[in-house]
Amino acid sequence: MMTWLVLLPVLGAVVVMLTPRARTELHLPMGIALSVLPLGLALYVFAVFEPQADMQLTEFHSWYEPWGIAWNLGIDGISMPMVVLTTILVPIALGASTMVTHRTKEFVIYTLLLEAGMIGVFVSLDLFLFFVFFEAILVPMYFIIGIWGSDRRVYAAMKFFIYTAFGSALMLAGIIALAVLHNEQAGAPSFALPDLGGLELSIGAERWLFAAFALAFAIKVPVFPLHTWLPDAHTEAPTAGSILLAGVMLKLGTYGLLRFNLQLFPEASVDAIWIMGILAVVGIVYGAAVAIVQPDLKKLVAYSSVSHLGFIVLGTFALTSGGLQGAVIQNVNHGLTTGALFLLVGMIYERRHTKQISEFGGLQKVMPVFAGFFLFMIFASIGLPGLNGFVGEFLVLVGSFTTLPVLSIIAASGVILAAIYLLWAYERVFTGVPEKEENEALSDLSVREVSLLAPLAALVLLLGLYPNVLLDKIAPSTEAVLDHIEASTDYVVPAPGRLGDVFVAGGDEE
Amino acid sequence: MITPEISWLAILPEVMLALGAAGVLLVEVQWKPQSNVLGAIAAGSVVFASAFAVLQWVQAADSVEFGTTDELVAFSGMVLMDGLAIFGRFALLAVTAFGLLAGWKYIVSLGRRSAEAIALILLASAGFSIMVAANNLVMMFLGLEVGSIALYVLAGMSRERARSDEAAIKYFLLGSFASAIFIYGVALIYAGTGELEVLGIREFLAGFVVFSPAVILIGLGLVVVGLGFKVSAAPFHSWAPDVYQGAPAGVVGYMAAVAKIAGFVAITRVLLAGVEALDADWLPIVAAMAALSMLVGSTLALVQGDVRRMLAYSGVAHAGFILTGVVGGTTEGVLFYLAVYSFQLVGAFAVAAAVSGADNSESSLDSYRGLGRRSPFLAGSFTVLLLGMAGLPVTSGFIAKFGVFAQAWTNGFRWLVIVAVLASVIAFAFYLRIIVAMYMDESDAVEIDVPGTSRWVLIVAVATTIVWGILPGSLLSLAADALPL
Repeated sequence: MMTWLVLLPVLGAVVVMLTPRARTELHLPMGIALSVLPLGLALYVFAVFEPQADMQLTEFHSWYEPWGIAWNLGIDGISMPMVVLTTILVPIALGASTMVTHRTKEFVIYTLLLEAGMIGVFVSLDLFLFFVFFEAILVPMYFIIGIWGSDRRVYAAMKFFIYTAFGSALMLAGIIALAVLHNEQAGAPSFALPDLGGLELSIGAERWLFAAFALAFAIKVPVFPLHTWLPDAHTEAPTAGSILLAGVMLKLGTYGLLRFNLQLFPEASVDAIWIMGILAVVGIVYGAAVAIVQPDLKKLVAYSSVSHLGFIVLGTFALTSGGLQGAVIQNVNHGLTTGALFLLVGMIYERRHTKQISEFGGLQKVMPVFAGFFLFMIFASIGLPGLNGFVGEFLVLVGSFTTLPVLSIIAASGVILAAIYLLWAYERVFTGVPEKEENEALSDLSVREVSLLAPLAALVLLLGLYPNVLLDKIAPSTEAVLDHIEASTDYVVPAPGRLGDVFVAGGDEE
Repeated sequence: MITPEISWLAILPEVMLALGAAGVLLVEVQWKPQSNVLGAIAAGSVVFASAFAVLQWVQAADSVEFGTTDELVAFSGMVLMDGLAIFGRFALLAVTAFGLLAGWKYIVSLGRRSAEAIALILLASAGFSIMVAANNLVMMFLGLEVGSIALYVLAGMSRERARSDEAAIKYFLLGSFASAIFIYGVALIYAGTGELEVLGIREFLAGFVVFSPAVILIGLGLVVVGLGFKVSAAPFHSWAPDVYQGAPAGVVGYMAAVAKIAGFVAITRVLLAGVEALDADWLPIVAAMAALSMLVGSTLALVQGDVRRMLAYSGVAHAGFILTGVVGGTTEGVLFYLAVYSFQLVGAFAVAAAVSGADNSESSLDSYRGLGRRSPFLAGSFTVLLLGMAGLPVTSGFIAKFGVFAQAWTNGFRWLVIVAVLASVIAFAFYLRIIVAMYMDESDAVEIDVPGTSRWVLIVAVATTIVWGILPGSLLSLAADALPL
């Protein structure tokens, strides 16, 4: 089944490839229809997913025996939400791409290949396979930014590609090192995650390897000070590119930190909690501060991503139940809300061909539905109780308060800063009376646009009101990560950091 | 060791190629036929040569299985019929067939001189084919010279173009120096060991403790310099950009690929089969050469404004990656890399030839602008090949790079692997520049016509790049079986 999840978008891309280039009106609808298939499958996976710690729905086929590489797929509570998120966002991103009028066929093909690669990253249990997907997705995203982006697209695409490729190059060396070590210790090379997790590493080697992996993922997240590619990529990318970039691709970094750094290098992870925590908090505050002064709406959302992803990194390296669960669910939340915000910015850009905040004003009167969705997503992004952002940020802050109290307190200011830059932006764009002539004639959202936003809004509300629909499935896996760390290091999660400590009534298994 | 009877099978592929070359020339003189007839003769000789190479492979596999590997030493130890030699022949023959197809339009355009071009290609292949099989270093030198001289002439085939003349002269002068250095190295190795045969040198080193191996090492160094020139490894690469740019586009891919295959098989044979006992001495030097090649090749390729020069510098970087495999100490990674890279190289130059057009001169990056519109087929295949050379996953280039990196890491050369991964990132930048020009720049230049034969070359090159990127098992196990004696 996991194989199909990866292959369906590829097959979709092949189908689109076979349609005539000239029938441009066909490509987008076909792409949307074809990307609904993996969504259906992902929802089925969500339904049959058992809340347990082990990998589920695993598949294993040897790829090339002497190298120990394998087509080794599986899913657990950390990757499942990401797969579902990916499959939700792709049809929406395609639906938002009516602006793409030239070379639509290639656009749809690249988007579907990108989807296959992103799903592949999340479900790979073999590091070689993981790397193949991790690196391969750079190519379609490179084309999406470079061909359909705005003025400085080539520069942005190149910067994006080289930055991320640089990080993953050193990770490749790290992966090779792990496989060679496995060969020395067990007599055969292996890239399987459980095998490599059981290696005996000297602390020096572990720290180096941790650094190699962390660098790759930190560039992807991006963690301050490696974030400079992100605003460029976002501003230049077309709407679909921005949605997938912010919604899913950045999460490859946070997912990687959680999945690989914590599992493979527990000792080094424990040693690194302060470094990573500080970088995360600097990112939170810095991203928010820079967002405040952005004159460009899209750049503002881009910098808000830097800030929000800081929370996820902080939660990950808090090494508590709350932190990890918060990190995983915040991955999803940020994907939904920021995806929606980029979608909204794209919609206004389609109407006005500008993203400058100063160009707008009083849109609330002209486009009430649009303003309503925007405000809703802003509230979700700020973390208003009842909406999804609150759940994630609350869990992260509570979780990190146990282990990194000072950082947790500083991070909390990020929530306030988010309120400042987002609400201020809202005020400037939507409130008052429309002064500019162009703004008076703007049409409100069409049915198509509402139907793109509505599912996202519904999910934001659902996760805000009843997060357990997801948290129940996440918790066993994040607990397993903590168990693994406690078992392989001296680290003990201080009370009340573990799940049992919080839910005294339910979770205790004395 | 010495087998008195002559085992023809060991050299039949070369005999076929040489017969083909002679046949083409004689038929041309006597009947002055259409180019297609000459092409058929050439194709026949390549097919027969390949068939005999397959026979050799079967026999070699049998001999290894039954432990009668002495049978594989032929002509009193002059040539070998081991896996390494036969794998080298497979690669050379495939590239020869590709080279003829990719360059066919150019060859036909030569008119009556087309027979010369075909004969030169077959002769070059015959020479390099004997070089990869040579056990005796003098034999290796003979093969090297037969092949190289044919290539010098081939580089100058377009006499009316000054650039082509310049390329030929430069290639010839520098190449002769390299050959001289090589043979001087052979002499010194002979002085130090009393042996000319690779297997004999190995026995000598295994049987004697050499207290001061200085003479052997200097000789070895000179041999490596000579071969390093042929494969355009830094710092012996300076000829490559001029030759790649000046020589006729139709045959440059072939020229580059065969020289690389033969040179690297020879390097592997000498270093890994011959003087492995001295590896403490040569490994650091070869590693340094690899690192230098990767860095010099990648960075200089960045600043080129000409696609063929860019490919030449990327070839320097690739030489470094392949040397990284040599440092890894096994032949498997080197051979796999050589096979996939030479396919990509011939394919890439088939694109360059098509873009260069009839006058065969234009290869600036500007002439690639908007290629995605002007010829989606050319641009698409070039993109796959460039991504393959860059080593992006899902292409054979990634598997190849991964293989050599893993071997070098296993052998303890971690710094080299780190240099290599960083060099690959630098390399991404210039491969992407070409892709940017093709897809992200607009141009109103005319559409480009792709010759049918080039089309087939490109289809095969792209298909192998992707298929071996996803299912590398078959080629990898073939390369793993292709061991030197």
